[in-house]
Amino acid sequence: MELSPEKPPTAEPEIETAHVEEFVEQLSCVTNSLPSRINIDAQSVEQGLAKLVLTLIEFIRRLLEKQAVRRMEGGDLSPEQIEELGLALMTLEAKLQELKDKFGLADEDLNLDLGPVGRLI
Amino acid sequence: MKLYVYCLAENIDTLATSLAPVSGISGAAIELIKIDDFSVLVSEFHGDAVPVNRENALAHAAAVGSLLNETTPLPLRFGTVAGEQHLRSYLATHREALKAKLDQVRGCVEMSVKIIWNTDLDEQPAPDDDVGPGAAFLRAKRREILGGERRAEQARQVASWLHEQVRPLVRQDEVSLCPTERLIVAAAHLVAREEVAPYRERLTESRKMRPELHFLVSGPWAPYSFSNIELEFKTRFGVS
Repeated sequence: MELSPEKPPTAEPEIETAHVEEFVEQLSCVTNSLPSRINIDAQSVEQGLAKLVLTLIEFIRRLLEKQAVRRMEGGDLSPEQIEELGLALMTLEAKLQELKDKFGLADEDLNLDLGPVGRLI
Repeated sequence: MKLYVYCLAENIDTLATSLAPVSGISGAAIELIKIDDFSVLVSEFHGDAVPVNRENALAHAAAVGSLLNETTPLPLRFGTVAGEQHLRSYLATHREALKAKLDQVRGCVEMSVKIIWNTDLDEQPAPDDDVGPGAAFLRAKRREILGGERRAEQARQVASWLHEQVRPLVRQDEVSLCPTERLIVAAAHLVAREEVAPYRERLTESRKMRPELHFLVSGPWAPYSFSNIELEFKTRFGVS
């Protein structure tokens, strides 16, 4: 057999940390948010479509929240307007949560991997 | 017949006997086939899609990892399945790009560093007694947004610090900031095999400087983060 001249110093991977449980917890979050494969059956197609639409709504909802906070910080809203805007965004958040529950989606499901650009949210 | 494709390699003609005990996906025997200048690690696969489960993920990693004993392979994405003719066509079409990728990772392995920030960065909430629920909601959002911005800035600083610590020993890096709320940096480093021991020593020293950070260092792995050939393959063949 022709071997490459690049024999490794050690081929067995080692994992080194003093905080195993913390990393297991955090890495589980990453794993759960990886895009799942889409099987072409009626139920998963419906859920996949709902996930895509709700991700876009979530993205816009977060933009609206940021804009509202910027306007609140900028001082160009009266206390009544702040209250009204806050209530509207609260309602929107609650409505989106209802839809997520209906389609069995968690918060971390609402994201899109845009490849080299990164993640949408 | 379809083939499950694990990785591409060069300068290797047959499997080492040490690979014999390693089973591929669904327990299939893995084999090395030669296509032009490439050695391709494959196993036979019967079916349309590879179930994503622990057993298959470990089988994929074991097959790719075993080849790492002999050379530095270019791993393909988990679940890559193609007919042999498609595989030949793909390799012929992308020969130059794949050769360039192999040049890039030759003699190297991937090391991984993940860092958790162990301090609460969130602003303590002010009392919301004087405002209605709408305004309190917006105040909470403000704290959330500012906390996120602080975490992002902290992550950038930590990533920059890490880069400086290992820079002389790293050929290339891929860094992800804030993949989760507390995991602020996930870095993959392409390290020459002979530099792995000094790299580990350097990190051990660096970790002592930052007791507020929790580290997970792992490797050596095949250069998964530096292959980046799976999407093109997927698009071309529509594999699962």
